[in-house]
Amino acid sequence: MPARAGLAATLAHAMLPASPEPAAPVIRLDQVSKRYPGGHEALSQLSFELGAGEMAFVTGHSGAGKSTLLKLLGLLERPSHGAVMVGGVNLGSVRRSGIPRLRRQVGMVFQDHRLLMDRSVFANVELPLVVAGVPPAERGKRVRAALEKVGLLAHEKKSPPALSAGEQQRVGIARAIVGKPPLLIADEPTGNLDPQLAVEIMGLFVEFQQVGATVLVATHDLFLIKRMRKRVIVLDHGRLVDDVAAAEVV
Amino acid sequence: MSRHRARRGDPLPAAAPSARGRIATWRGQHAWSLHASLQRLAAHPVGTALTLTVMGFALALPLAFYLALGNLQRFGAALGESQAISVFLKPGLGAAAVAGLASDLRARADVAVVATRTPQQGLAELSAMQGFGPGLAALADNPLPYVLVVTPRAGLDARAGQALVTALRALPAADRVQDNSAWRGRLDALLTLGRRVVLLLGALLALAALLVVGNSVRQDIQAHAEEIAVMQLVGASPGFVRRPYLYAGICYGFGSGVVAVALVLLLELALTGPVATLAAAWGGGLRFAGLAPALLLAVPFAAALLGWLGARIAGARHLTAVEPH
Repeated sequence: MPARAGLAATLAHAMLPASPEPAAPVIRLDQVSKRYPGGHEALSQLSFELGAGEMAFVTGHSGAGKSTLLKLLGLLERPSHGAVMVGGVNLGSVRRSGIPRLRRQVGMVFQDHRLLMDRSVFANVELPLVVAGVPPAERGKRVRAALEKVGLLAHEKKSPPALSAGEQQRVGIARAIVGKPPLLIADEPTGNLDPQLAVEIMGLFVEFQQVGATVLVATHDLFLIKRMRKRVIVLDHGRLVDDVAAAEVV
Repeated sequence: MSRHRARRGDPLPAAAPSARGRIATWRGQHAWSLHASLQRLAAHPVGTALTLTVMGFALALPLAFYLALGNLQRFGAALGESQAISVFLKPGLGAAAVAGLASDLRARADVAVVATRTPQQGLAELSAMQGFGPGLAALADNPLPYVLVVTPRAGLDARAGQALVTALRALPAADRVQDNSAWRGRLDALLTLGRRVVLLLGALLALAALLVVGNSVRQDIQAHAEEIAVMQLVGASPGFVRRPYLYAGICYGFGSGVVAVALVLLLELALTGPVATLAAAWGGGLRFAGLAPALLLAVPFAAALLGWLGARIAGARHLTAVEPH
C-alpha cells in the first residue's frame, strides 16, 4: 500500500504514530554514492533507512558526508549512483519541475540559518506558506503557532539581525516547521551555539518527533548526541561505519 | 509515475480542490508578488527614479518626433489645400489688360478660379506684416506688380498641372510663375522619409528601453540572490520566484510610459504658443495639434508590456544561475 501511494499520502500516513501496521521508512538510501565534479567522493555506497516518526543523528568528522547526505534528501544535489527514497518516492524520478513540491514536504534547517535579513521574523517564517499558496488569514495563525512553539512570539516584528544567534536559529526552525512537513532535516543546527542553547534547540527537535515528525539531524557534537539518546548514524569518508540504536547510546 | 502522484494529496492547503480555492490562492500569491516588487522598488527610490527617467526619455523621443511629424504633415496639407499658382505679371501692365488676361485664363478647361490681386492689395498686405511698415512708407511709388492667383481645377493630375504651369510661363505678360505644387511634392517626400525615420528610431529606442529594464531587473536578481535561493529551498516554483521580477518590469515599464507621456505633454505645452504665432504669420488657419488622447493613454500600457518582456528575458538568463541545484 505505501509503495502505491503518493509521497504526501505516505508522509501523512507516516505522521500517525499509533499506526497499526509497521510504517514504511520515510527515508531509504540504497547503495548511494555521490561524486562531485573534480572527483571527490562525498558518499560511497551508503544504505540505511529511517522509519516514520523516528529521530536520528548523523555524525562524523567534517567532510564525512553529513551535509551531502542532507543535500540529497532536499534535492539540492542528486546522487551519482544508487537510489534515494523519501516517503516511498524515488527522488531520481522527480524531475526539475517536481522539485518545489517535494521541498515543501521537507523542512530544512541550516547551520547559517539562511534567513532573509531585510524581512521581519514574521515574514521569514511566513515564506513557506506563501510559496505553498496558503491564504493570508490562515498564514497568520500558523506563523504565530510556529513562533510560539520556538518561544519567539514576542519578536515577530523584529528583523533577524536584532536577534541573538540562538534566536535566529529558532526562527529558522519555525520556518522549517510552519508548513508541518512530515520530514525535518537539520544540518549542524547548533554549530554556532553555546552548549546550553544547543540543548534547548535539540529539545525542540525532540518535541517535533514526539508529535509525529521524522527528524534527521547532522551534528558533530558528541556530547549533545549522548545526552539526547537517539539513534546515531556514523559516517566516515562517505561510508557508514556505525549505526547505533537509541537504546544503545550511552 | 511517482512524480505524477507526488503532485496530488498535498497536506498543505496549496492543493485546494475547488476552482474557487485555486483562484483565491492564485490571487493571493500574485498580490504577495506585486507587493514584494513594489516594496523593492520603493526601497531604492533613487535607482528606481533613474531607471524610470532613462526609460521615459527613450520612449518620449520617438513620441516627440511623431508629434512634430504629425504637425508638419497638417501644415503641409493646409498649405497644399490651395494648390494655387501665382503668376506675377510684368510691371507697368494696366488694369484693363490684367482683367482681359484673367478672363482669358478663366476660359481654360483646366482652371477653376482666377483671382486678381492689385499692387495696392499687395502693399497693404506687406505693410500689415511686422517690420515692413516703415520701409514701405519710405517708397515713393508702389513697386509691386499685379498678381493673378490661378487655382487649377480640382482633380487635375500632376502632368496636367505641369502643363498648365508651362502654359502660364509661356504667357507674354507673365514675369514669374510660382508653382506651389512642386514645393508640396518635396514636402511629401520629406514627410515620407520622416515617417520612416520615426519608425526606425522608435524601434531602436524601444530596444534601448528593453535593455534598460533588463539590466535593472538583472541587478535586482543579483542583489536578491540569497533571497531567491531561500525561496527555492522552501519550495517556491520557478514561476513564483520569477513573478516579483516580472511585476517589477511591468512597474518600470508603466512608470516610464507615464514619464514619457508627461514629457510629451510638457513639450506640447511649451510649443503651442510659438507654433500659433508661426502659423498666424503664415496666414492663419493653422493650429498646433497634440498627440491623440488614445495614443497617450496607450503609451504606458505598451511600455508596461515592454517592461514585462525585458524582465522576462533577464529572468530567463539570470534566475537559473542562482538555483541551488
